[in-house]
Amino acid sequence: MIREESSETGELIQGTLEMLILKALLRGSMHGYGVAEWIQQTSQQVLKVEEGALYPALHRLELRGLLESEWGASENNRRAKFYQLTTEGKKRLNAESQRWARLSAAVAFVMQAS
Amino acid sequence: MVPDLHAFLLRVKSLFRKRRMDREMAEELEFHQTLLREKLLRQGVPHAEVDAAARRTFGNARRWHERLRELWQFRTLENFLRDVSFSARLLRKSSGFTAVAVLTLALGVGANTAIFSLINGLMLRPLPVPHAEQLAVLRMEEGGPQSSYSFITPFFRSLEGRHEVFSEVFAYNGDTLQVRGRSGNENIQGALVSGQFFQALQTTPLMGRYLTPEDDHKGGSAAGLAVVISEHFWERWFNRAPDVVGRKLVIANVPFTVVGVMPKQFIGADPTQKPEIFAPLSADPIIDAPRNHIDAGIRAWWLTVMARLQPGVTLDQANAALLTVSNPILHETASDPSAIADVPSFIADEEKGHFHFAAEPGSRGFVFIRFFFRKPLLAVFAMCGGILLLACLNLASLLMARSAARERELATRLAMGATRRRLIQQLLVESLLLAMLGTAAGLAVAPVVSRSLAALLMSGNNNMQVDTSLDLRVFVFAALIAVVSAVMIGLIPALQATSGNLNDHIKDGQHVRQAHERRRTLPRVLLASEVALALVLVVGAGLLATSLVRLYKSGVGFDPKNLVNIAFSMDKQQLDGDALMRLYQEIGEGLSHQPGVKHVSFQFIVPLSHRGWNGRYSAPGGSSQIIFLNSVGPDYFETMRIPLYSGRGFRWSDTKASGLKMILNQSAAKLLFPGQNALGRQVINDRAKTSYEVVAVAGDAKYREMRVPAPPAGYVPILQDEQKKPSLSAVVRIDGPQSPLAGAARSLAARLAPEIPAPVLTTLDEVLDNSISAERMMALLSVFFAGCALLVTAIGLYGTLAYTTARRTSEIGIRMALGAQRARVIVMVFKENVLVAAIGSGAGLIAAALASRALASFLYGTSPRDPWVLVGSVAALTAIASAASLLPALRAARIEPMAAIRYE
Repeated sequence: MIREESSETGELIQGTLEMLILKALLRGSMHGYGVAEWIQQTSQQVLKVEEGALYPALHRLELRGLLESEWGASENNRRAKFYQLTTEGKKRLNAESQRWARLSAAVAFVMQAS
Repeated sequence: MVPDLHAFLLRVKSLFRKRRMDREMAEELEFHQTLLREKLLRQGVPHAEVDAAARRTFGNARRWHERLRELWQFRTLENFLRDVSFSARLLRKSSGFTAVAVLTLALGVGANTAIFSLINGLMLRPLPVPHAEQLAVLRMEEGGPQSSYSFITPFFRSLEGRHEVFSEVFAYNGDTLQVRGRSGNENIQGALVSGQFFQALQTTPLMGRYLTPEDDHKGGSAAGLAVVISEHFWERWFNRAPDVVGRKLVIANVPFTVVGVMPKQFIGADPTQKPEIFAPLSADPIIDAPRNHIDAGIRAWWLTVMARLQPGVTLDQANAALLTVSNPILHETASDPSAIADVPSFIADEEKGHFHFAAEPGSRGFVFIRFFFRKPLLAVFAMCGGILLLACLNLASLLMARSAARERELATRLAMGATRRRLIQQLLVESLLLAMLGTAAGLAVAPVVSRSLAALLMSGNNNMQVDTSLDLRVFVFAALIAVVSAVMIGLIPALQATSGNLNDHIKDGQHVRQAHERRRTLPRVLLASEVALALVLVVGAGLLATSLVRLYKSGVGFDPKNLVNIAFSMDKQQLDGDALMRLYQEIGEGLSHQPGVKHVSFQFIVPLSHRGWNGRYSAPGGSSQIIFLNSVGPDYFETMRIPLYSGRGFRWSDTKASGLKMILNQSAAKLLFPGQNALGRQVINDRAKTSYEVVAVAGDAKYREMRVPAPPAGYVPILQDEQKKPSLSAVVRIDGPQSPLAGAARSLAARLAPEIPAPVLTTLDEVLDNSISAERMMALLSVFFAGCALLVTAIGLYGTLAYTTARRTSEIGIRMALGAQRARVIVMVFKENVLVAAIGSGAGLIAAALASRALASFLYGTSPRDPWVLVGSVAALTAIASAASLLPALRAARIEPMAAIRYE
């Protein structure tokens, strides 16, 4: 089986994006565009999700069993692919949030040191 | 779920819905872009610029699509599948090459698997009983060159009671049982088995019980005579009646009670016999009446004896124990009532030969014919191996020539960044595909081939069979040779094609002479070995075929053409003596009135059926000689077309009252009366002290075996035969088809002797063929293999030369443009193969001379280095090789120089 090749920094970004996607989907099922929009709006336009990264991330999460997908109708009645968290996904989100909280706190500590 | 496993399963799923997944990915991305465009419109981007703006934001949709696609793929697997479809396309494109490759490989694999399953069925497969490895076959060493596996009843009964090393000792004898059915008596294959037989084989009956030592008494157990039947017989005879246990079966006119049914997988202790009925050994006097092997004591060597070792006892321990009991058991026969007078000399003879019992592994049961067929089968197996090797060599050289033609393509691919491993993988996939197709084709035909070979081998024995069904062992074997041949035919060409300096190939493809020269040694070696191997096979086939022809030509002393043998089983009907002879006379007359019948007579022993009867006879005052005997009817010599040199044949008036008569063959006459006229002289039976008058001297005819010259033999009239209720065969000389005779014989028997089973009809030609079935099989197969070897070699020589010549098209064009004669071109191309063929033939001759020695024991009247065969084989190979090489040479000579040069 093939593993994705990734550098250290790529992994951080990718991991972070995945965490954000999971978080976005905690509110309910959404299509890819919705996920990107939500992240962008919620981060107050700070985080801009690249489409080229978004879909591979969604598919990767689906392959790992953290997301499930289903085709349904969108707000204005177009066919769209909706993603939804699985139980595994929720657990993963939990773990990731804790890890992120610890990490960002630690980074904050370091940065505040004089 | 483990994420890796989850992904794996999803990827596998996606394999089967590729197109849909692809569409959905595109749709998903498209949806995103649509929403993006709408958003941009809402933000006030002018219509005309929306598309460009969206594209700017979104990036290259195709690239994202490709990335998604990659996510869902197995890279190795998909590459592999791509290789498979690419190779399949290539193979389809050159369908001629593919057909040749698949056929030759199918031939190699099919032949090997067929012979292996025959060997497996006859020699390797263990008996289907629990702990077969504990079984042992007992034999006797009597000082002779061969061990004896046929025991007398007294020996067996003594061994049976000894349990020091064996938990059970048992004996059996395959037998034909006459069973009364709805339409008269029928002959059924069965076995007489001793008391511990079933206990030792540990197989639970399907219904009822099996036979126990209680049943193995004269008259059976307290409940009477019992038999156990096979599931097959239960089905055929009783239509699977659930109440079969307790029913009666009339065998040899005596009722037996069915006490049990054995399941299908139980075949007894001899895998070539599948007895339908198992009867107790002690019932032999009833079942084999009027013969009696038990009372015959030390004169009847009729039992196969096997044993089950006690747990933990080794074969060595068993042999040691047998050694100590051998002499006491031998001396126990002193009291045997069967031949009190002979016993002392019998014991003395055996002691002289250091008589002792021995045990050998018996997990595979005891098969008498193993002794005959082991060597022929192994020889044929070796030939099959040769054919497979030949097929592989041939394919390797063809593939190599082909990949040489693809040099440029491969070099280009290497230059474009393909790894060498990747290219080798694709080439290997190609040969693997060929190997799989070939093996599949071979496996498909193997069962049919092995069944017909088994039928050919067993043709003389209607009641014998070899189970050649494919089992795990055969499959492992087939898989093994498939993989080995795939690697063999694939790896060499693949490595060859991808080595070397790729720049050279790209630059000039076919002009780099030096590199070519070096790289053409290997194909030449392969081709030369192919030629050598083919020569070995052709020489072997030539020897075996010559030997077979000489065997047939050597003659048998009688004329087997248009001669039919009709066997009557008279042993269980009521008539005997003169009344039975009158019955035979009536049958004879009845047969002689059938259309197309020229002569009718009777014989006791059918010549060349491997049966025999002999005794010691002497001329008065002369020394005692072993003479083979047969009892025959009037008109016998006319019917058989055995010449009578002097005297007269037998008549229906040669009864017991008219004085004992005998007709000697020439060898016997010379042996008993050297230099004298035997006619009218007396011959004395040394044992019975009876005297026979010699009434004629007849020509020599072969007796038991075709390979052995006619032994000294004597004929006695059937009317003077001492046997009780002899079962004779009618021999009928016919003029025309034999088929009406079968019906006539059956209706005659039904009218004159309604109790006897239907007579069995065979032609003497069949008897003759069957007596040398192993020789025939070997000759037939070897000639077939040799033909295939020649064909395959021709294809190999032709194919490689055609490829190399095609690659030299422009070179030849230039040569011709510079003035080379067409004849020179022919010679130049032809020469390439001459060297290969010459070296191959030389090596092949040496190898054949060494290998043919292994055939010496199969040959009749033929030296393993028969010069004619050797010369003929080389000539055949040379002719084939020349023809195969001439074609590409002629084609090269037709090259138009201008066209060839422009072609580049």
